Amino acid sequence: MTQSELDHLIKMANQIAAHCAPGASEAVAAEKAANHIQRFWAASMKRQLIAYFNADGEALSETAQAAILQLNA
Amino acid sequence: MLKYYHPKQVERSEVDFGTPAVEGSMVNLTIDGRSVDVPEGTSVMRAAMMAGVKIPKLCATESVQAFGSCRLCLVKIEGHRGLPSSCTTPATEGLVVQTYNAEIAKIRRNVMELYISDHPLDCLTCPANGDCELQDVAGEVGLREVRFGLDGANHLDAETDDSNPYFAFDASKCIVCSRCVRACEEVQGTFALTIAGRGFESRVSAGQSEPFVASDCVSCGACVQACPTATLIEKSVLDQGQPDHSVLTTCAYCGVGCSFKAELKGNQVVRMVPDKGGAANAGHSCVKGRFAFGYATHRDRVTTPMIRAHIDDPWQPVSWDAAVQFAADRITAIQQHHGPESVGGITSSRCTNEETYLVQKLVRAAFGNNNVDTCARVCHSPTGYGLKATLGESAGTQAFDSVESADLVMVIGANPTDAHPVFASRLKRRLRAGAELIVADPRRIDLVSGPHIKALHHLKLLPGTNVALINALAHTIIDEELQDQAFIDDRCDQPAFARWRDFIMASRNSPESLSSAIGVSAEVLRAAARRYASAKNAAIYYGLGVTEHSQGSTMVMGIANLAMLTGNLGREGVGVNPLRGQNNVQGACDMGSFPHELPGYRHVSDDKVRLSFETAWGVKIGAEPGLRIPNMLDAAISGTYKGLYCQGEDIAQSDPNTRHVESALKNLDCLIVQDIFLNETAKFAHVFLPGASFLEKDGTFTNAERRISRVRKVMPPLSGKADWEATMALSTALGYPMQYQHPAEIMAEIAALTPTFSGVSYDKLEAVGSIQWPCNAEAPTGTPTMHVNEFVRGKGHFEPTEFIATEEKVTRRFPFLLTTGRILSQYNVGAQTRRTANIAWHDRDWLEIHPQDAEDMGVVQGDFVLVTSRAGETVLTAELTDRVQPGVVYTTFHHPESGANVVTTDNSDWATNCPEYKVTAVHLKKVVAGSAWQTEHQHFSEQQRRLLAPAKTRNSHETV
Repeated sequence: MTQSELDHLIKMANQIAAHCAPGASEAVAAEKAANHIQRFWAASMKRQLIAYFNADGEALSETAQAAILQLNA
Repeated sequence: MLKYYHPKQVERSEVDFGTPAVEGSMVNLTIDGRSVDVPEGTSVMRAAMMAGVKIPKLCATESVQAFGSCRLCLVKIEGHRGLPSSCTTPATEGLVVQTYNAEIAKIRRNVMELYISDHPLDCLTCPANGDCELQDVAGEVGLREVRFGLDGANHLDAETDDSNPYFAFDASKCIVCSRCVRACEEVQGTFALTIAGRGFESRVSAGQSEPFVASDCVSCGACVQACPTATLIEKSVLDQGQPDHSVLTTCAYCGVGCSFKAELKGNQVVRMVPDKGGAANAGHSCVKGRFAFGYATHRDRVTTPMIRAHIDDPWQPVSWDAAVQFAADRITAIQQHHGPESVGGITSSRCTNEETYLVQKLVRAAFGNNNVDTCARVCHSPTGYGLKATLGESAGTQAFDSVESADLVMVIGANPTDAHPVFASRLKRRLRAGAELIVADPRRIDLVSGPHIKALHHLKLLPGTNVALINALAHTIIDEELQDQAFIDDRCDQPAFARWRDFIMASRNSPESLSSAIGVSAEVLRAAARRYASAKNAAIYYGLGVTEHSQGSTMVMGIANLAMLTGNLGREGVGVNPLRGQNNVQGACDMGSFPHELPGYRHVSDDKVRLSFETAWGVKIGAEPGLRIPNMLDAAISGTYKGLYCQGEDIAQSDPNTRHVESALKNLDCLIVQDIFLNETAKFAHVFLPGASFLEKDGTFTNAERRISRVRKVMPPLSGKADWEATMALSTALGYPMQYQHPAEIMAEIAALTPTFSGVSYDKLEAVGSIQWPCNAEAPTGTPTMHVNEFVRGKGHFEPTEFIATEEKVTRRFPFLLTTGRILSQYNVGAQTRRTANIAWHDRDWLEIHPQDAEDMGVVQGDFVLVTSRAGETVLTAELTDRVQPGVVYTTFHHPESGANVVTTDNSDWATNCPEYKVTAVHLKKVVAGSAWQTEHQHFSEQQRRLLAPAKTRNSHETV
């Protein structure tokens, strides 16, 4: 995976976390973001994002991180 | 007794009834002893035609209102004085009409004698010979002599204006019936033509007596269609003579999907004539569909399959078998080395439903993954997402006809007069009849102000603030209690509405809070919201100015919210109407082209749906979505994605951040491009499968109103295979045989597997002409209006739409916002229209820049301007215009060498990855030469042309 591919995935995850449940609680937003990623991302993209989260995860927003935890589960 | 004629029951009729149909209560009259029932107000001429009595006419034709100038159609009406013209006399109860007697015959002959005394008698060499109403009527009235001679004053030496590339205007043959003038006004709505002068000096004039091409004429062809003589005639008919047979088919340009008669001699199309019975276009056309079909036989067509080991190698022409075997071997090898997910496909929105269906089937069944996407990714994918989430179906809610019942039309981020011209003509007709218009667009599109049309409000918002705008409008409607509470209570999900109501009423969503971000005053925003909410029928039409943003999906949901809030759904005259870009973008989406959906918008994780396809196809289908186009490109750069089958798309030109796309394509081990030309993407390909134009195959297209129409083969495929046959061959070579004898069999499979298509068949399409899906047991004749008593998802779902501004912002380094769009004469990447005479109107992409900004930079009209974004830079030619606001610049992307997409960024819609073409922060600088990318592009294109040359010069039958 290149840095630019990872950057795109991080950006997309953060965008989804910010947009998919504006104004909702952290828990609801994370659940909706996780559901969105689950439904629209290819398995390879999810794996790469989870790998990044496990290794570092710094660039992900809090909601995005909470969402990835649900993907992990 | 004969009954009232209704055009919908006699679709495709060739009959000219002389005056338009009217609606009204029925009256009975007697014409030449025949009793006929017609709606009150129908002309006597039309009533006679309905009774089977043809009255001679010249100035009347069904597409325009009666004019009463030629005096040929006069009739005798019992109890009335004189001989009124039948075209202008309305039918009333009990009229007794006589269409012929000795007195009438004499007058008609005298009238014709006068016409012919000032008309060239060159019938035998006239291009309209045999297709001339003047000639016909001369015969009908029995004209035998012209007593006045040709010595007097006449117009026989009037000059021909052949300035238009597609049609000529021979003034010497003009009878000044004004049908062309009225067609330009009433049908097209451009008002480019007029009758100049008076009496004997009267003549048809384009603009202020300008050549046609220099006037406001948009070359729609309505005048040519209306002309009864050879005065306005296609140059192709002048060159080739009249066509001798015709085939009814569907235009392959924009999402309006006009029905055309392809008129031919042998296998050569002489002209395309809009079909009066076509439900989408009702006999109208635009410059692209009507005239720009020459690309189909252009010398640049590549008609031989070709292969090469590497993109620096010359192309090698081979047989179909050799090409598909080469492709299949490479794909198989890639999958063995890199895994089953390392390849994928892109379906084409220009190909037929059947072809698109086969490509996604090939990806899912022969490649064995869900890595299939389509160009809707970069245009209307947010429409699919947003409308599914709120209303329950990924499609527009109305038929085009619906606009005729609208009282207010709001056009958001769409430019119908350029991108959907035939629909725009209908819209303009409704606006001239009194409907109100609100335009929301950063740029002053033609619709804002034109002949007899003026928008009530032009909301000139800043690019990127759509969601702020829609929130401000919705806030106002609740704030001022203008919502349709009964509709909301009855039709919508209540908890969702309550949550949304709390959200929208927050003070941050008020027009007062948002006006500075939007760039439109709060008063104007409130006034626009009031008009939208209080109109009896308010309809929203939108385009890519809505979807191609980082918040595209949010905006689509915002539009659906607004329509639900005001009860503007579920009947004629209202609705949420996405204007689709390409001819079959709706169909490509319907056919399961997205990596997360099987045909009919059903998610791949749905076990029941997957099982139905697995059973029919005999393969396992993955429950996880595949890669979308931008993800494919990223994975290609990373080296995990190595093979792509790309049918009829040109992602190297159309997709954003060109350098990124080019790097990805260069990294592929097998790029299979199927196209009619060696397009920009094909320059990176290893296998070229020659495509078939829409004239060379059978199938169906689905337009923006969900209308499925037949595409019919009018000539054999130049390469020997239609695109669906090429896909079958590739699939079979990959070890997954496909054996359809005709696209009708593919449609039968689609219908069997897709509930919204279960009632669709070629037999039904033959019988009724076209069908709007859903078409099934509940709606056997299709569904013009959706969500009538209930939303597809049950209760309408209000979604909160927080305005989160794009990251693409103006800075000191990038102080301007660039937005992109299309123009009338060119289409998408221009591969088709650039290879026609349409180039006369747009030979390059211009950078529109406000004169004030230009002055600050010392730029004058025609200067080269370097446009730099954080993605790249390119040089465009400046066009100074106040269409754009200061701080905003605009360009089109029809010419590859312009590199408009070198500048656009990889920002995309949060939900669908639809690129943010409409907002790019840029820096501008006056320069004297092209950019580095343009130089590279030129060298690369020249190299690729050289590599193609040997293949082009060899006989297409020669194979290795």
